[in-house]
Amino acid sequence: MSPWWRLLIYLVAAPLVGGLLAGIDRRISAHMQARQGPPLLQPFYDVIKLWSKERLVVRRTQNYFILFFFLLTVFTGALFFCGSDLLLVFFALTLSGIFFVLGAYKASSPYSFVGASRELVQMMAYEPVVLLTAVGLYMVTHTFQVDAIVSSAHTPILLLPGLFVALMYAMEMKFRKSPFDLSMSHHAHQELVRGITTEFSGPTLAIIEVAHWYENVMLLGWLFPFFSTHWVFGLAATALMFFLLLVVDNVCARVRWDFALRSTWQMTLVLGCGNILVLWLVEVLGIVKL
Amino acid sequence: MSGLQKSPWVIHYDASSCNGCDIEVLASLTPGFDVERFGIINTGNPKHADIFLVTGSVNAQNRIVVRNIYDQMPEPKVVVALGCCATSGGIFRECYNVSGGVDSVIPVDVYVPGCAIRPEAIIDGVVRALGILEARRAAIAASTVAAGVMTIQRATAADLPELLALQKVAYQSEAEIYDDTSLPALHQTLAEMTADFNRMIFLKGVVNGKIVASVRGYDDGKGSANILRLSVLPYFRGRKLGRRLMAAIEAEFPQAKRFELFTGHRSAINIHIYTQLGYTNFKTEPFNDHIEWVYMEKKQS
Repeated sequence: MSPWWRLLIYLVAAPLVGGLLAGIDRRISAHMQARQGPPLLQPFYDVIKLWSKERLVVRRTQNYFILFFFLLTVFTGALFFCGSDLLLVFFALTLSGIFFVLGAYKASSPYSFVGASRELVQMMAYEPVVLLTAVGLYMVTHTFQVDAIVSSAHTPILLLPGLFVALMYAMEMKFRKSPFDLSMSHHAHQELVRGITTEFSGPTLAIIEVAHWYENVMLLGWLFPFFSTHWVFGLAATALMFFLLLVVDNVCARVRWDFALRSTWQMTLVLGCGNILVLWLVEVLGIVKL
Repeated sequence: MSGLQKSPWVIHYDASSCNGCDIEVLASLTPGFDVERFGIINTGNPKHADIFLVTGSVNAQNRIVVRNIYDQMPEPKVVVALGCCATSGGIFRECYNVSGGVDSVIPVDVYVPGCAIRPEAIIDGVVRALGILEARRAAIAASTVAAGVMTIQRATAADLPELLALQKVAYQSEAEIYDDTSLPALHQTLAEMTADFNRMIFLKGVVNGKIVASVRGYDDGKGSANILRLSVLPYFRGRKLGRRLMAAIEAEFPQAKRFELFTGHRSAINIHIYTQLGYTNFKTEPFNDHIEWVYMEKKQS
């Protein structure tokens, strides 16, 4: 399939898949808590509702930042699914996150500030391991191009199990799941008010929600290359990982930001860097031929 | 279709309730009742909420909190008073510090009595509120459409509180431009406004019975008319309502040889509109160390 077709499919299908995943997420979570849960299409109802609400702002400029957050999130996913450079995708992802934080800072409210600073801490926590993923995949497949990585003969998970575990650990943050839903949570709305999204309402909140769907699809895409031997296996494994994230979300309480930062870096250093070190050693010693 | 009926997000506030009703509100979130089945989420953030659930009688300490939460909720919104105390003040009605039910502070749409209220009644109350919510959304959508048919009338003394509220909302965007809340328009009191009313002509722009814009002007006795405090609600801006009001207020002074008004030096949109209406800058005067008033005039031929 040509990259342009993939781009088009991504732009149209990602919000649908992302919204559906959010609905599945809420239903599965509800069942885990012995509840029935909302209808499967609830996230779509929410977004449609938000679109018809009034747009209250502290400063109007805060909405422009959110618009850029949305555009860059879509751009990040577009780069990824067009099979572009993994490093470029990573930097675009960072930039989109920064715009979200700037929007929250612009709203100058204490809850928004707390959410924004926690988001920054989270970014500090998960970015090393996400970048390390690109390094690991390069070592295995000798390319940063997503296209080439996915079509390579290797199954990276076999060579990068430690790195993958570290990545999954950090992914709880990116999916905004417990124990790391510090800056903005889907549950326990009371404790943080609503963290980073506190000051956004109506259509702007709807945009944040849709951006989050795009982001989730991109992040699941990020997990896919680890299992890319066969696309059915890859999809099944990615779905399993998504389920695993939900399980962890439902069995864990939220931790403090300092623990989140420390433990993520420890995981990154020990499992992530350790994995890459071992991979390098076995390659140098000639045990494995890459 | 708005989706409003399928995704009512609530915010729950305990206005000096005994906690009986509050526990029942939280009970409705538990597996036994699971209100998330209906898409109901307890948000804890007024800016995300559609339905305001209040329990308990309102007292002197938290009137302002109730008011604040209500004001921070985006339209369309509804208020549900839960329990006997919230509907009427209940057994605390006669207390010296209790101002009565929630409706003594904010408008209440649905009253759900009970002591303590049962979760079934809470769910019933919220579902009733949904109908009102939808009607309100339709009304707002209709008034946005109706902005083109805004009627312009002379304001009466009874309109002054609403005009003052409008002015304070409308001037927020000016305060934002200069990062300065000391603008005189934001600090006018009702008494000062009444004094203004006695010597000026006040015009109001009305859409569906709601004042969405206003302007005032007076003749200075030397042949020129001063126009001031042109205010349009943020939600209704960009629809040329301000220009229509300007034309109407100018028509109120057929004898005037020139019109004069002023705005801040960084209020680019205002200056642009006035320039288009034929006003030219003739002097500037500092208001404080970072705001300059730009005086503009238009000569009547």
